[in-house]
Amino acid sequence: MMMANDIRPVPSAASERLLDVKGLTIEIETRNGPATIVDGIDLHVGKGETLGIVGESGCGKSLTMLSMMRLLPNKIRVTKGEANFAGRDLQKMSNSELRKVRGGDVGFIFQDPMTSLNPVMRIGQQLAEPLIYHRGMSKAEARKRAGELLKLVGIPGAEDRLDAYPHELSGGMRQRVMIAIGLACNPQLLIADEPTTALDVTIQAQIVDLVKDLRDKLGMSVVWITHDLALIAGLVDRINVLYAGTVVEDAPVDALFSNPSHPYTQGLLASIPKLSDERSARLSSIGGTPPEPGRRPKGCPFAPRCPLAEAVCHERVPSLEGIGQNGAHRVACFVAQRKLEAA
Amino acid sequence: MSVVPMTTTPIEIEPPVSLWRDAWHRLRRNKLAVFGLIIVIVLAFTALFGPYLTPYDFLSQDLNGRNLAPSLSHLFGTDDLGRDVFSRVVYGTRTAFLVAIVVTFIAVLIGVTLGALAGFFGGFLDKAVMWLTDMTMSIPNLLLVVVINASLKSPISSWMEARYLATLNPFYRETIWVDFLLVFGSMALISWPPYARLVRAQVLSIRSRPYITAAQALGLTNRIILMRYVVPNALGPLIVAVSAGLGTAMVLESAFSFLGVGVNPPTPSWGNMISDGLRVWQHYPHLLAAPAAVLGLASVAFSFLGDGLNDALNPRGAK
Repeated sequence: MMMANDIRPVPSAASERLLDVKGLTIEIETRNGPATIVDGIDLHVGKGETLGIVGESGCGKSLTMLSMMRLLPNKIRVTKGEANFAGRDLQKMSNSELRKVRGGDVGFIFQDPMTSLNPVMRIGQQLAEPLIYHRGMSKAEARKRAGELLKLVGIPGAEDRLDAYPHELSGGMRQRVMIAIGLACNPQLLIADEPTTALDVTIQAQIVDLVKDLRDKLGMSVVWITHDLALIAGLVDRINVLYAGTVVEDAPVDALFSNPSHPYTQGLLASIPKLSDERSARLSSIGGTPPEPGRRPKGCPFAPRCPLAEAVCHERVPSLEGIGQNGAHRVACFVAQRKLEAA
Repeated sequence: MSVVPMTTTPIEIEPPVSLWRDAWHRLRRNKLAVFGLIIVIVLAFTALFGPYLTPYDFLSQDLNGRNLAPSLSHLFGTDDLGRDVFSRVVYGTRTAFLVAIVVTFIAVLIGVTLGALAGFFGGFLDKAVMWLTDMTMSIPNLLLVVVINASLKSPISSWMEARYLATLNPFYRETIWVDFLLVFGSMALISWPPYARLVRAQVLSIRSRPYITAAQALGLTNRIILMRYVVPNALGPLIVAVSAGLGTAMVLESAFSFLGVGVNPPTPSWGNMISDGLRVWQHYPHLLAAPAAVLGLASVAFSFLGDGLNDALNPRGAK
């Protein structure tokens, strides 16, 4: 399962960074003043690289990506840090420059295909919209390309489907349409925000395979946000584990599965049910709940739930330090870092 | 454990239906709505082809045949000047439709624009628009229309008259359209706030739907998102409101004409016919009954149609 990248050369960690997020801090306006939800997050995606962002609900996975593209309501805003795309800071762009990036250079696929398509517009038109807007195509050209895109994402009878409304398609079909829309302008980066959560298991696998296929064909970078580690094991090159708005572990996919170093990552992996488990065995889970925004603990955000927490964990926030793979495997945990030094 | 064989009954695949066709199917099953629709169509037809349907001119007087009871030659009888009441009711239908359609059109245009902008952009714009709506709604409708008509109609008319005498330009001779303009304007002025509120509420809920974020993620401009993603999705309830609004506008026009601040005689309007008929109804009830009945019918038809559309377009709310 982990040798999935045998066709494609794995982009080296040193390859040019397409997306480089540095110290992004996101706050939400609440009745009791601003509360920090994402605290100085750092992450990067190389050209042609596929990054998986994993974490439980509410840890700031989607939020980071959406607010990076300034797609969130005014109540939520980026207060610090930068998000460079192809060398330009998205936070400093004018609205019209940013619009060219959205949909043109960065494609999005959203969580719920049932509600992410405009219900009163034929899908052909929805596909044509970015082509007309970003590529300046005529209506006829855009329609032709829309037909090709539907074929690309494997919709049978593609041309006949152009005039269908979203409600005439199944969930899997709709997600394929969403992917086609996301890919319409040949983006350099595709951000998939839990695109399979609303679909059943067989369709999930199909969608993952489809994105993998298209990525190899088109050579784009992909950021895949999910809470399902097992699902993306064969798709991504590198995984960032997010907890309470910070990256706690950053590792090449093989290293993460073979040597999970952060206690939170270990907990996540342990909670995946295995076929070899006894039927009656209880699923392992991580006790407690993530901290609420605005009530973050002083030290490591995971410390209150951590089985290995020590005094220092409650005092200081650990930084991401390389622990292996020539620095490609990094973890933000005092205990894991010390274990390495001892070894 | 026995294996249940799979049934092989061929599955009927329904042809895809669009929202509108689906709504039309539901509307057709609603008897009251169909009744309303038929009446509305008949009235609209009457309004459109009135001049070809009426046996007499609505102005031609026959002083030998005044206040005649309904008969075959005069379906609804004649009035105190010997004018054919049927012809006048038919022409009144034209007035009612003209006023209702133009007023509703202007009101919807203002209401949708302001409501959509307020709901979509929020902030100060939203506050300002809502202040304006509340302010307009707080002024009694009748009062505002009476004030506008009473204060503007006669000065404009006399100014036009003076211009005509000075220039002999035929443009200034006809003052009837000044009447209509004032009626349209003042009625539209009081009719737009409900549309603005409705559209604002719709847009507020649509704005937070995922497909709007998806459209923004495609880099589309606010203008395109507003016009092609937000407004079309708000149309269902708006159509219902417009259907009911047309009926209300007809009643309103009649009310103003009844009070003498609407369309002026001799232009026939149901309202001024009712007003004339009311003075003599003990002696000639048909003069009151004919326009009043048609007005009632129109009002009921539009509200049945509106209710039917509401159920058809919002199937979840229907029983």
